[in-house]
Amino acid sequence: MTKKRKRQDDFQKVKLRVGKRKAKPDNTTNVNFRTKAIHITEQLKTDQSLPATHRKLNIKDLLSQMHHYSAGVKQSALSGLKELLTQHSFVLQTHLSSILSEVTAVFTDKDPPVRSAAIRLLQSLAVRIPPKHIAPFFPLVSAHLSSAMTHITEAIQEDALNVLDILLEHYPELLTSCSSVLLKNFVELISHQRYSKTLKTPGWILSVNPDRKYSSQKWRLSVLTRLCKFLQALVDQQPTAGQNCRAQADTLEIDERKSSASQISPLDITWEEHSFGTEGIQLFENSGSQPNVKSCFQLRTSLGLVTVAEEGLTSAESLKSFIQTLIPILFECWIEACPEDRTGTTPGNLLEPDCILLLYHVLSIICLLRQLATTQNLFPNMESWFRGNYLNDFKNRFMKYFPYSEVEIAKHRNKGVKRDKSASGSLAGVDTLSLNLMVCRVMVPMTNSALVQQDSVWLSPIRMFVTQNLSCDSKLNTKELTGLLQVVWRLAVTQRNKAVTEELLRAVQLQYQQRSLIMPIRILLLRFFRALYLLEKEANPQIAKSKVLSRWLAKLPLQLAQLGPRNAQLSAHLIEIIHAAASRANKELLQGLQAQICHLYDPDDGAFVLLPHECQQKLVQLLYFLPSLPCELLSCLSHCCNGGRFLASLAASLIRIVHIRSSFVAWVNYNQEVAVSDADYFSFLFSCLTGFAAEDLNMLQRSSDVYQTQLSPIFLYLTDVEKFMHHWDVAEEVCLCLATISSRTQCLDILQNAICKNLANLQVIPDSTAAAVLHAVSKLLDLAYIPSEVLLRFLANCCCSVLLLMLEESDSEEQGQKREAMWGACLEALSSIPRVLRLMLQSLRVTEACQEVIPVVARMIRLLLQHTQLRNHMLANSALLQQIIQEIMRCRSGDSREQWFAELQYCFSVFISGQSRGTSATQEMY
Amino acid sequence: MSAPMEVVVCTDSASQQLNCAVYDLHSGTNLLSYRGGSTSAHCLAILNGEYLLGAQLGKNFINVWEIQRKDQLQQKIICPGVVTCLTASPNGLYLLAGIVESIYVWEVSSGKLLALLSRHYQDVTCIRFTDDSSHFISGGKDNLALVWSLNSVLQTEPTRNPEPRHVWTRHSLPVTDIHCGLMGPQARVATASLDQTVKLWEISSGELLLSVLFDVGIMSVTSDPCEHYLFCGGSDGNIFQVTLCSQGIQRDETFQADREGNQVFKGHRNLVTCLSVSMDGSLLLSGSHDETVNLWDIQSKQCLQTMNHKGPVTNAFIMPAPANMFYPDSRPSISLPLFSRHLNPSDPGEGGLAEGVNLRLGLNTQGMEDSYLDKAEELLTLMSAATNKNVFGDGEHTRMRVAELEDEVRTLKKVNKELYEFAAQILTKPN
Repeated sequence: MTKKRKRQDDFQKVKLRVGKRKAKPDNTTNVNFRTKAIHITEQLKTDQSLPATHRKLNIKDLLSQMHHYSAGVKQSALSGLKELLTQHSFVLQTHLSSILSEVTAVFTDKDPPVRSAAIRLLQSLAVRIPPKHIAPFFPLVSAHLSSAMTHITEAIQEDALNVLDILLEHYPELLTSCSSVLLKNFVELISHQRYSKTLKTPGWILSVNPDRKYSSQKWRLSVLTRLCKFLQALVDQQPTAGQNCRAQADTLEIDERKSSASQISPLDITWEEHSFGTEGIQLFENSGSQPNVKSCFQLRTSLGLVTVAEEGLTSAESLKSFIQTLIPILFECWIEACPEDRTGTTPGNLLEPDCILLLYHVLSIICLLRQLATTQNLFPNMESWFRGNYLNDFKNRFMKYFPYSEVEIAKHRNKGVKRDKSASGSLAGVDTLSLNLMVCRVMVPMTNSALVQQDSVWLSPIRMFVTQNLSCDSKLNTKELTGLLQVVWRLAVTQRNKAVTEELLRAVQLQYQQRSLIMPIRILLLRFFRALYLLEKEANPQIAKSKVLSRWLAKLPLQLAQLGPRNAQLSAHLIEIIHAAASRANKELLQGLQAQICHLYDPDDGAFVLLPHECQQKLVQLLYFLPSLPCELLSCLSHCCNGGRFLASLAASLIRIVHIRSSFVAWVNYNQEVAVSDADYFSFLFSCLTGFAAEDLNMLQRSSDVYQTQLSPIFLYLTDVEKFMHHWDVAEEVCLCLATISSRTQCLDILQNAICKNLANLQVIPDSTAAAVLHAVSKLLDLAYIPSEVLLRFLANCCCSVLLLMLEESDSEEQGQKREAMWGACLEALSSIPRVLRLMLQSLRVTEACQEVIPVVARMIRLLLQHTQLRNHMLANSALLQQIIQEIMRCRSGDSREQWFAELQYCFSVFISGQSRGTSATQEMY
Repeated sequence: MSAPMEVVVCTDSASQQLNCAVYDLHSGTNLLSYRGGSTSAHCLAILNGEYLLGAQLGKNFINVWEIQRKDQLQQKIICPGVVTCLTASPNGLYLLAGIVESIYVWEVSSGKLLALLSRHYQDVTCIRFTDDSSHFISGGKDNLALVWSLNSVLQTEPTRNPEPRHVWTRHSLPVTDIHCGLMGPQARVATASLDQTVKLWEISSGELLLSVLFDVGIMSVTSDPCEHYLFCGGSDGNIFQVTLCSQGIQRDETFQADREGNQVFKGHRNLVTCLSVSMDGSLLLSGSHDETVNLWDIQSKQCLQTMNHKGPVTNAFIMPAPANMFYPDSRPSISLPLFSRHLNPSDPGEGGLAEGVNLRLGLNTQGMEDSYLDKAEELLTLMSAATNKNVFGDGEHTRMRVAELEDEVRTLKKVNKELYEFAAQILTKPN
């Protein structure tokens, strides 16, 4: 029964009817609700104390999100950090430690987007954090970096290289300080250790990993590129103590010389600054004008993690072992890219572009390793060690198919390949030329002057390659040319064979002679020759005797003359070389210079007057070294001095240099060769003193722009103040030179003759000339010498005219200096030569003068009376004076109450009374 | 009158009779004059305080006087060419001469030509030693100043050319004068040049420290012993004083204006070719081509004395008076050998001599004291001598002495034995 009931219950029929809803079972879940996810994109609370991102997340939130399990959160936190730090950089200062520890931790994150976000963040951080600030955290950074580099996942390794790139760009010196770990990582990235029973030491062989995204060759290339960069940074970091050995080892240290010179900054002062006390001199021990605060002592190691035993490449042994590890791997790379024996049609020297890049990096790593060893000066026999161990390998591998060239990939029209090629080529700027050049740079230092005979077999293709490249017409860029020149340099210095050296130099010469070279290249070539020339005496006789070099030197003055003012920079370089060679008394150069000298110093369009001041100075100094200063040159020079196209100080030093080369100065010994004949020298000095050429003076005679009065015996041509002062400075220098000549009377004789012949018969004279002549004569004249009547009359005329001019002219501010000089010159002449005064007073013919002039004459006499220096001389001429005053009184018209006359009368009366008192005093004394 | 401490030594180029005159520094009285020939610039040297050497003007020989025999020319050293400068090392062991473009290094004791340095491209104008004779500096008309280490010059192999320690190329016209300060290899060197600059260098690092640009070419340079001031003789006759150690104290404006003119010694009318400062740094001596030698007080910049000469002054310097100078009876400790003119004398006759090493110590090092080890040994022998002599004298004496001692031992033993027996008796005596 129960069974039946049960059945009924279980199988009760559910009646379903059309139009009626199906009854819901009891256990159904109501799915009528709808869900919505809550995205908290930004926080509600705004904590004003800390800056936040646009999601209102502050730094603490972001940092805590970095520990989130979800990759998305981490990624967004990283990008948030980036945003925050770019906008509020002060956050960086305060949270640097935590930020760095979080960011570096995700270098090894397993999700690629997180890593790439971290790299982007690092990129933006590196710009903002100076190396000084990141230094304490750098052990942490480098530890994470090296853990990423050695990570088991390939993708992480690849990203680690990007991190390395960033760090290398911004913190090279910090990164190189932990070189020991990183270098090992590099090796491990492309190879694995091979343990074999036969070999004692574990060797390394290249590893091939088929799982990688890239082909293994590409992977190797990217690792080698980084290694290359890293080593370059390491070489750049070398302490400057190695500078000396670098100068010997490295070949062409043209650009480095300047940097090494700047190690100590010398103090440059001029005498004016010093004497006016504006600049005190403070010198420090071993460091010139700035105290040297650089210290090589360190209180703790910058890398806490690195044990002391595991030092980088700073010791000879570690470097040696590193080289021994790396070079076999590099060889393997080389062989893989460029198989030894090729079967088929392609010859061995044809390479694909990717191979070229790889090979280039292999070679440059070898090159850098060698540089590293030589700069650190670790083991002195480095070169021979290299030679002994690797010469044969290098010869077999690198030189076998030298020079290399690119294979024509005409078959592959595939677009992808093409783009790839152009990308790789343009990226590194590597083509076959630079590859071949690198081969040269690796191979050439292997030889030295003693062994050059043995090595001629493999040196000759290198030589041929270099010669061809230099002498062909193709345009080389600066980098290529630098490389080529370095190779040439090394070859030229080591070679003892004259013919070979000449051939190399001729190739460089050919390159130099090309017409349209751009400026940097021209200068590079100039520097090459210059360095070669300066080395001459130390290095080897072949270079000293080289015809190419001497011919090049001899042509320099011509080039300078032809260049003119077109390119001041190039001219400066040329002048520098000419100066150096002239100071070494190089015969060829001096001959060339002597031939061109008048063109160079031409007063109108010579290089001398047109170039900037520094070059002019050098050119003036160059005059000292000339074997002889011919007459034409001296006339050019005096024109230059008078022309006023350079500073008066420079003109003064020019005169002084000519003076030193004359026979009147022998500063060292007395039999020195005299460059200037005495007659030429005097005419040079005199034309400088005159300040105007003879033609100019003749021109002036017809000029209308002159000052004249009825009374003035000579007409004065007015020069402007600037020219006057220039002339005045020159004249002073001439006076000094004349004053040092030992036989004064003869010197005066010559001067007198010159003045009488050239100036005394002129009607118009420039005022500057008049002042200069007055100054010179009064300075030189001594009592023993009796000047001729003509000279005295000329001087008196000059004095009279100049005085009248000054009194007539308006008293303007800018004329002050000029007036002072002219007044001084006149007074000097009048007081030192009494007869000039007398002659001047005699020549004042007041009676013939018109009315306007008389007040001026009166003022002049009054001024002379008032001057104490002239007092005695005036006393001697008192009778004459009285007569003049009477004449003035007679001539003046009309009113006697005019002020100038009253003043004159007063002065004269004071003067006369003083005279009587003076005479009475003297009478009393007797 | 006691002999003066410091003397002034001057030469000029004109007078034929009187070559070199010696004055007392303070009184200015003429003490001595050496006759014969005339000396060219930078060519007067005192060797070891015993000889005066001066290269003849325009000729290829060097006049030598013993310093106490003023009237007699002792010797003429014939040189391969005209001597342009001459100097002797302060320790008196080496003589250096610049002959045209080369520097000759002679050993004074043997007269051998030790080295021939030809790194200059034109005439050498001036050579100066450091005070410890370890380095010398040469300046030339080719604008170069070279610093040589004497030891490395002497030790380079004959096949190789010696290299200078530093090459200073910053001058652009001939170097006219060089001054070398004290302190041996740590000294500072001032070079003057026609390019209107004076440059101060450091020997140890070879770096340029200071360059002062003047208005005129500088013909001579010197500094006081403390190197407070640098004195530069210009080609216009002025002597410029450069203060090397400014304390940086700001002085009053008026005082500065006052001071401005005070830094120039004015008085000469032509090139100032030689300058020298006395030992105490208070007096400055200057010689000029205007044929006068002036003595200045540095503090006040006043000219104290003027000594007139008959021609342009070529050499003038102050030096401590050598001991021999005023004792006519004294003799030089060494006689000068013949100076050889070639680098490697290939005379077969000299072969035997050339084998050995010629050792000639300087005056100060000649009477060298014994080392401490020698002294200690000496003391030991001295101390032990007394006993040794007593105990182990000559054979006869020893035997007697031994017998005596043996006797004494015997008696002592006897006494000892008696004492023992006596004591034993007392102790063992039963009572």
